[in-house]
Amino acid sequence: MANSQASSSRSGYYEENYFSIDDILATHERIKCKFEVPVFRLGFLDMTTDNEHISPGSKLDLPFWLARVLCNKRNKKKHIADVEIPKQYKESYREILLADANVVDLHKLGPYYYTFGAQLLKFDPADASDIASSLVQTFQGRFRNIMDSSQNAYNEDNARLTAKLDEMEKDLFKAGQKGLNDFQDWETRRVEKLQTSTMVVNHKKRKRAALIE
Amino acid sequence: MENFRLMDPAEVEFLAEKEMVQIVPNFSQDIIYLIGGEIGPFNPSLPVDVPLWLAVNLKERQKCRINAPQWMDIEQLEAKKEEETEAQFFTEMPSPHYMEVTQLLLKCAPEIPRADEMRTLVKDIWDLRMAKFRRSIDLLVKSDHTHAKVNHLTLMEINTMRPFLTKALDQIHSLRTNTQSAGYIAPQ
Amino acid sequence: MFCEKALDLIRELQRSRGASLPPFNEDTLRHVLEEMKALYEQNQQDVNDAVQGEAGLFSGVQIRHAALERNKRCILAYLQNRLKTTRDMRWEFGSVLPADVKYNLSEAEIQWFNKYNKSLANYMRSLGEDGGLDLTQDMKPPKTLYIEVRCKVDHGEFETQEGSIVLLKKNSQHFLLRSECEHLIRQGILEHIVH
Repeated sequence: MANSQASSSRSGYYEENYFSIDDILATHERIKCKFEVPVFRLGFLDMTTDNEHISPGSKLDLPFWLARVLCNKRNKKKHIADVEIPKQYKESYREILLADANVVDLHKLGPYYYTFGAQLLKFDPADASDIASSLVQTFQGRFRNIMDSSQNAYNEDNARLTAKLDEMEKDLFKAGQKGLNDFQDWETRRVEKLQTSTMVVNHKKRKRAALIE
Repeated sequence: MENFRLMDPAEVEFLAEKEMVQIVPNFSQDIIYLIGGEIGPFNPSLPVDVPLWLAVNLKERQKCRINAPQWMDIEQLEAKKEEETEAQFFTEMPSPHYMEVTQLLLKCAPEIPRADEMRTLVKDIWDLRMAKFRRSIDLLVKSDHTHAKVNHLTLMEINTMRPFLTKALDQIHSLRTNTQSAGYIAPQ
Repeated sequence: MFCEKALDLIRELQRSRGASLPPFNEDTLRHVLEEMKALYEQNQQDVNDAVQGEAGLFSGVQIRHAALERNKRCILAYLQNRLKTTRDMRWEFGSVLPADVKYNLSEAEIQWFNKYNKSLANYMRSLGEDGGLDLTQDMKPPKTLYIEVRCKVDHGEFETQEGSIVLLKKNSQHFLLRSECEHLIRQGILEHIVH
């Protein structure tokens, strides 16, 4: 799918899916931008002033999709603002992750820690390769825990674990649970019983909830 | 419904029902010609091999007795468990559908001697193999290799890990692609 | 900030995942379209002014253009994801949607559902010989021809293929052809009893 957001990215980086809800939400994460040139008639974007224009030096927290257009290191003519890579991707955090990735609450740092991190690489930060390898190592470091708990019936322990997972890891955990649950439904012969479809069940639940209200 | 429907264990079981098992019928019947092959003839008290689905069906209608396959013998299962524990890699299972065959047979023929022990042993072997499976997946994801060769896994085992494994490989692939684009060279 | 309304649409989809659709949000959609119109007109204005010789306007144009593209993406994702759910509903609820589910669809979505319904029916009729093949049946390999079921609601009379009439009354139990009642189980009218 053609993607206007990532059209100028180097090939090879994680490409968004244009229609994906998760990708749209991940590209809404905010990032600090420092304006290098004035932007006329858009002063209202800066809530801290009443100015008609955005003046150089202004710092604004902007969603990624907009920052992506403002920061163009390779094309000086189109370069409007510098971005500041969020601290959770900087060296001090990378060191914590390298020491023991499992104790970190990635949901708090995320919730789209990996996807957003991969998007940040498009800004060509000086430490791009360190960020990229930190993302891989963090995933590898946390992988075993996620896999093992996804293969246990859902309980307090893995509820505590999933609370600390970023959205991509949660997705992975759910996939593991699906495999396990399907197998257990088979093992207990629940599989023989024809079931009401999920959407119908959810629909009825919602109707009942609405009645109670 | 999901975008890509995964294989359901019920479908794996359906494939397993083509495995042949030995029954001792209590009726007479000429050869039955089916698309999947010929079955029979059936003679009272004369053992004959039939597909599992038919064995279960006949048993439920009290038309036969089922002889458990040789590999379900307690001593053999114990030896298999021992072997699986010792071996670094997966060992070859005596039946490509050992889980399903055990489950279906013991459900319809609980009178098979030492059925409970059989069930426990088979489940032990399953657990051993799944732990091994997870260990090798972890190694693969941590190794920076892009593929691995694994022998002797059975369909039910693969099917149980499939949603997780394919997703994990997708995710690690997308993360690695980033590192390559950022000029990062994986340490050997 | 631009595109906040558009993101509301996306959040709405995120919350309703796995369920039937929330009401088609015509109001928010109109707001987004109005914002897009304003962005477009302001850009036209700035471009005209730039042509007249005013300098430094292009950064603003660039930003508004990005906001336009973002709004477009959110709206298209909203519509596309709703369509995907509309399609899934055909398989979950069957060819006739419950009134309150249908109520949440837009006119265009209802039309789309009907067309999808029709193409699916045509396709299924074209499969195999006499009468075609119902793909919405036997989602799992069937074990028996007949199954035991219990009514969860008062459903009324039901005519079997053999021509007899069965009264589906709450808590009554019946022994029916699996192929005849599988969709009633999926719709939550009957419960499959397994021993």
